[in-house]
Amino acid sequence: MKKVLLVVLMVCLVAGIAFARPGREGASTGGAVMAMATDVGGLGDKSFNDGAYQGLLLARDRLGAQVVVVESKQQTDYIPNLTGLAEDGARLVVAVGFLMEEAVKETATHNPDTYFAGIDIGTNPGDPSNFQGVLFNEHECGYLAGVLAGLLTQQYASAIPGKLNSQNTIGVVLGMLVPAVERYEVGFIAGARSVNPTVNVISVTTDSFTDQARGKEAALAMIDQGADIVFHAAGQTGLGSINACDERGVLAIGVDIDQNAVAPNTVVTSAMKDIVQATYLVAESVANGTFAGGTQVYGIDRDAVGLAPFHGFDSQIPQAVKDRIAAAIADMKAGRIRIPTSRAEINR
Amino acid sequence: MNTFLAIFNADLLVSTIRLATPIALAAIGATICERSGIVNIAMEGIMVVGAFMAVVFTFLSGSPWVGLVAGILGGGIFSLIHGAATISLHMDHTVSGAVLNILALGVTRYLMILFYGHPGTTDSIPISLKAYQFAIPGLSRIPLLGPLLFNQTPIVYLSFLILIAATILMGKTKTGLHIRAAGEHPLALETIGVSVYKIRYLGVFISGLLSGAAGAYLSIENAVSFSEGMTSGKGFIALAAMISGGWSPIGAYLAALFFGFADALQIRFQIMSRVRIPAEIFIIFPYVLCIIAVAGLVRRSRAPKADGKDFMIEKSE
Amino acid sequence: MNNSKKFLPGLFLVLIIVFLILGAILYLAAYFWGFFLILLAGILYFIRQVITLGPAEAKLNVKLMGKKLMVPVVGILCSMILAILIMIITGYDPLTVLKSLFYGGFIRNWHVSVLNATPLIFTGLSIAIGFKAGLFNIGAEGQYYIGTMAATYLGLKLGLPPFLSIVLIYLISASAAAAYNIFPAVLKVKTGAHEVITTMMFAHIARYLSPIFVLANGGDPATSTHVYVTDEIIRTNFLPYFSSFLPEANYRLHIGILIALITAVAINFFLNRSKYGYEIRAVGANADAARAQGISVGRNIILALVMGGFLAGMAGVTETLGLNHKMFQNLDAGYGFNGISVALLAGNHPIGIIFTSLLWGALDAGGQYMSRTTGVPGAIVEIIKGMILFLIVAKYIYSWAGNRLVSRRKARAEEGLA
Repeated sequence: MKKVLLVVLMVCLVAGIAFARPGREGASTGGAVMAMATDVGGLGDKSFNDGAYQGLLLARDRLGAQVVVVESKQQTDYIPNLTGLAEDGARLVVAVGFLMEEAVKETATHNPDTYFAGIDIGTNPGDPSNFQGVLFNEHECGYLAGVLAGLLTQQYASAIPGKLNSQNTIGVVLGMLVPAVERYEVGFIAGARSVNPTVNVISVTTDSFTDQARGKEAALAMIDQGADIVFHAAGQTGLGSINACDERGVLAIGVDIDQNAVAPNTVVTSAMKDIVQATYLVAESVANGTFAGGTQVYGIDRDAVGLAPFHGFDSQIPQAVKDRIAAAIADMKAGRIRIPTSRAEINR
Repeated sequence: MNTFLAIFNADLLVSTIRLATPIALAAIGATICERSGIVNIAMEGIMVVGAFMAVVFTFLSGSPWVGLVAGILGGGIFSLIHGAATISLHMDHTVSGAVLNILALGVTRYLMILFYGHPGTTDSIPISLKAYQFAIPGLSRIPLLGPLLFNQTPIVYLSFLILIAATILMGKTKTGLHIRAAGEHPLALETIGVSVYKIRYLGVFISGLLSGAAGAYLSIENAVSFSEGMTSGKGFIALAAMISGGWSPIGAYLAALFFGFADALQIRFQIMSRVRIPAEIFIIFPYVLCIIAVAGLVRRSRAPKADGKDFMIEKSE
Repeated sequence: MNNSKKFLPGLFLVLIIVFLILGAILYLAAYFWGFFLILLAGILYFIRQVITLGPAEAKLNVKLMGKKLMVPVVGILCSMILAILIMIITGYDPLTVLKSLFYGGFIRNWHVSVLNATPLIFTGLSIAIGFKAGLFNIGAEGQYYIGTMAATYLGLKLGLPPFLSIVLIYLISASAAAAYNIFPAVLKVKTGAHEVITTMMFAHIARYLSPIFVLANGGDPATSTHVYVTDEIIRTNFLPYFSSFLPEANYRLHIGILIALITAVAINFFLNRSKYGYEIRAVGANADAARAQGISVGRNIILALVMGGFLAGMAGVTETLGLNHKMFQNLDAGYGFNGISVALLAGNHPIGIIFTSLLWGALDAGGQYMSRTTGVPGAIVEIIKGMILFLIVAKYIYSWAGNRLVSRRKARAEEGLA
């Protein structure tokens, strides 16, 4: 009987310790909590998750915000993570990536006292007012990348000797066909065709943002078909594509952020969208009390999308090409060209 | 039609080898393991560990060769957990394999956060094994087969050697005989004075080494960094390759080649298609082909008799 | 006298069942005082045993049950100790971490744990039935996809009265998943194609068919504002929420868990009490012996895989009608593989699967909470899971350790005598 009593006592003790509400560590120190939840790609993708994180770090340095990051392993984690961040007292919760659309809107509805923002997520009428969607005109920077690729692959193929061939073929590797990816692709194709109507653009959907091997294989297959410039809009999968280009000595175009550092002799430029700045601006609006719901669209008119510097290739790119790109930027800003945003608008 | 036929070229075969190599390495390892009587579904996990170790040690040493050795040994050592669990602790083989698959994900993710500060993808290694691709003089001039077999990267050459070595080991050596006996009639083996435990440990360890090599191939030869999920089910495909290969090294290798071929073909079909067909139709193509092959071709194959059966020696005390 | 002897245990049985069900519902909805009802049911059970069997036997039964629980409890404790060691070595404060793991998983986010566990119970049962027949239904994930697709489709189209509609969706969708698993089953029987390969390949196919399905049902970017997600199913086809009768329950918690519990009990009855269940187990234990008894091996292989498909399909239906109400293009839920873990952990026992699924769900939910509040990598949870599985299933460790202990004691006793 004594034994039993002892066991019961022990169990109660352990349970008491285990189930006691843990103390809040450091919640009172520092400024407002600005949190983000990554999509399944996670930090280290050298793409939008990293970009949003940098934006929050900027908010930490300039606004004194505390930064909390949560990683999601699978889709079912999204709502608990977002809800948890809100319930733990975050002022702003940033959801990164299109795949979190449903989750972040539902969470925003149920947590009206917290501000939410969604990178690559649009809003519809009737969405909660404490949610701000942040969209980018990926088709605009995709278009510029297309102009560059379309010119280099044919007319100016001699500008970068040893990397370009005469087959007039370029490629684009896609991750999952989410809207942002589709806008990149469609803009790229339209841009290439605008300067080079006969160009052959090969497009492969890998259906993954994480499978490097698949991205590599897709790029290699394109290169086998004669592609000499490969663009990607595929997150980590695209790192494999860049690697393939590096091996075969052809050019790659990076995506989202300046990816030149991944392979300096291969990545001629990157189609960038300024996630860092956009994320920071949301954080700033929360800090200033000027946060507004609805969708914020960042396009070339706000200099939020564009091409990265050419780095080592700068001296090799002919001035004529640079001029054509500058002209395209001016045309877009003046609204003189309309760039398609979905596959339905172009014929493949 | 011409463009359609154009995809059947040497590039397709090179691509096949590239896609098949990690599957083949793991499948040959699994074959030896199962012939010794231990079911191994942990290749996926072992590959993850191998891939991770290879990248970490390439970083630490600056040489991908050190990374390769570390990846192989890391896989081997990690697989010994499976050996200890199934052989000495008499745990169910499937359970232990499932445990290893879970553990591998957790351990690499945890270590990655400690080493690199975040999960996801590691930084790029300075130099990959791909840089050590070399052509064997003379032989590489043979049309078609030359560039395919004799102008390759280190781990691909290694996989050729391993295929030959494994075939000889299983077919011609005494150790191979013992391994097969451990999987068919362990008691008989024990009565002639050979330790079934030791032979089975050997089988598991070999399979760990080879799966580790497969992981290293993925991270430091075919890529320049480790990312979570980069094995993407290849360990399980290797399991399928081992079974459809009828538990023989050469069969496993051919089955792996078949998977690689189907996958390579799939990507090229996608490039070639002029009409707008959902990409998924192409992506499922290798899997459909695999089902047809397994159902139609390999009905004769049979697992080793004592595969997955626990073997316990009654010690007299 | 005779009458009361029959009457009293009967009354007790009714009370036990009522308390147990009420307690379980309350507890699952995070009304934690429901635990006292469960405890009460346990006490009543003991008293009933005393009445029917006599005090000595009742005591013995309790002791036996305690012994059975020993291995899992010791296993969990040991893996916790190992986890603490890992945390100390890598420089985290283990007490805070474990506290937030438990608080997050079992108290604060208990509803998340229950939501996590619900599909796991179904896929766990699916895989367990396969194992009982000696089959490895590694492709439960694919059957889950088929169930999800069918349920989404019917949920969008079927506008019958709520109850009837939900029952029909369950039956038809799960049957579709079962039918999908007929292919591997028949291939296994007719050509000997190994089910590990075929179910896995069929799972991949189902996974890649789902984007096409999503596009065809409201997810096409050309025509829809919400792309890569289907339209929402008809509201009357939603599973009821706990919050409709227990106001404090979390708004997302649906009654799918209760359906899962009922299913687990039914499968337990089917496997362990029915003739069909006996035949499946016989085939799994020794196919040749079963054949000698006149049991058709092929028929039972097909039965086990088809039932496995049905159960995995139910997981998809429950998730669709209860939680998501639509289908996402990229589910990637991993329920198939986690189902393997919970089934193995429970030793393929249907009732055990309920508890292992809840444990797994709680570890996941607690892990999220922990990494959010303490900054400790959530990956530690995967390590803990692996160790728990290892330490519970490797029962041999305990008998080995026990034997060592006994022999040492014996040796010491002999020494003392000498």
